[in-house]
Amino acid sequence: MRLDIPILCCITADSSCPVTQAKKALEGGATMIQLRRKLASGSELYTWTEKIQKLCRRHNAVCIVNDRVDIALAAKADGVHLGQEDLPLEAARKLLGNQRIIGATISTVTEAKRAERQGCSYAGLGHIFPTVSKTKSSEPVGLKRIREISAFLTVPILAIGGIGTDNVCEVISAGADGIAVISAVSDAADPVKAAAELLKTMQTCSRNP
Amino acid sequence: MATQKDRQYRFSLPRLYMVSNSPGHRYPASDLPGLVREVTSRIPAVIQLREKHLAAKSIYDLAIAVRKSIADSRSLLVINERFDITLSAGADGTHFPGNSCPLEKARNVTGSLVMGKSVHSLQDALTAESEGADYLVAGPVYETPLKRQYGPPLGLELLETICSNVSVPVYAIGGITPKNARQCLDHGAYGVAALSVFRSTDNLGGILENFNTALSQCA
Repeated sequence: MRLDIPILCCITADSSCPVTQAKKALEGGATMIQLRRKLASGSELYTWTEKIQKLCRRHNAVCIVNDRVDIALAAKADGVHLGQEDLPLEAARKLLGNQRIIGATISTVTEAKRAERQGCSYAGLGHIFPTVSKTKSSEPVGLKRIREISAFLTVPILAIGGIGTDNVCEVISAGADGIAVISAVSDAADPVKAAAELLKTMQTCSRNP
Repeated sequence: MATQKDRQYRFSLPRLYMVSNSPGHRYPASDLPGLVREVTSRIPAVIQLREKHLAAKSIYDLAIAVRKSIADSRSLLVINERFDITLSAGADGTHFPGNSCPLEKARNVTGSLVMGKSVHSLQDALTAESEGADYLVAGPVYETPLKRQYGPPLGLELLETICSNVSVPVYAIGGITPKNARQCLDHGAYGVAALSVFRSTDNLGGILENFNTALSQCA
């Protein structure tokens, strides 16, 4: 499955109904929705994935599920996003086949190379800036890491972590192919507008100057 | 697709069922392959890998280790809920909790692999059977502090009602000991499932022997 560049991936926040969040993000122009709800039951995740997948189809966007390859398979989602502690990428690729999307969380050059070799469809690189959405023990990797990795990686890079309209052009011009956000859209006063502004800003900033 | 009957005869389910872990009693996961080897070398068992506190990668690694430790080929390994791990790690099946993804959707993905389901009422049991479960785990049969969240125990009478209304094997769970295992079988259970009884003992051999005696009488 091909990913249109630039990618605006909206990850659901735990604060409210993920389907409503997805709907608003898609109305604003999100090109990818990642359902992420660590504590939800399988039954809830299945129902949400089916609904979000339908919404994504209507908006020509893709729907991926965080961690739960089982749910993605059962609900026929477009793909999954895997962290370093999730099911190994190669195992997930065998189950999902070559057509579906597998995103991999990476923060180092080594992880980027390994993820690409193991068949990831895109790399989620972060966290770039300090962020409030996730409690992180590690230091932000900064723009320099985007430059390092985009120099060799052939799959798209999604920058994540503390990205908003004020700094999105910095990550795009450093070599990112898109961004992933949580609170910047989901917790915005007007999520539709927030997503639209992020996408518009990304489309206007220059890449790799 | 295989019918219920076809699937039932494709494998022979052991009568003893061991759940690896529970929220109330956490044990180091690294102990598990050794414990499983000890149990399954003496008595065939269904081993359910239930380690909800672990990340998927750790469950996957553990599943592979446990699969290798099942000495007796008549023992089975089922993974709690994550049938992606079942498939990747080469386990025999998946056990689904009450609030899982719909069984028939999982069946589309896992094919003929074993699918079990936890049930807490007759209605649950009938639904699970109609959705294609190969076996059920019904409980809690007896009073147990760990299962209080599921309400009062079923009791032997309701266990019997469930067992006589479904055609798939039913394992009784909740407060099971070698002493009351026989009672569950007499009320229609196919086998018994337990968690802590395998862990909180310094006489595992004795426990297993007593289970073996109780469970073999029903054949």
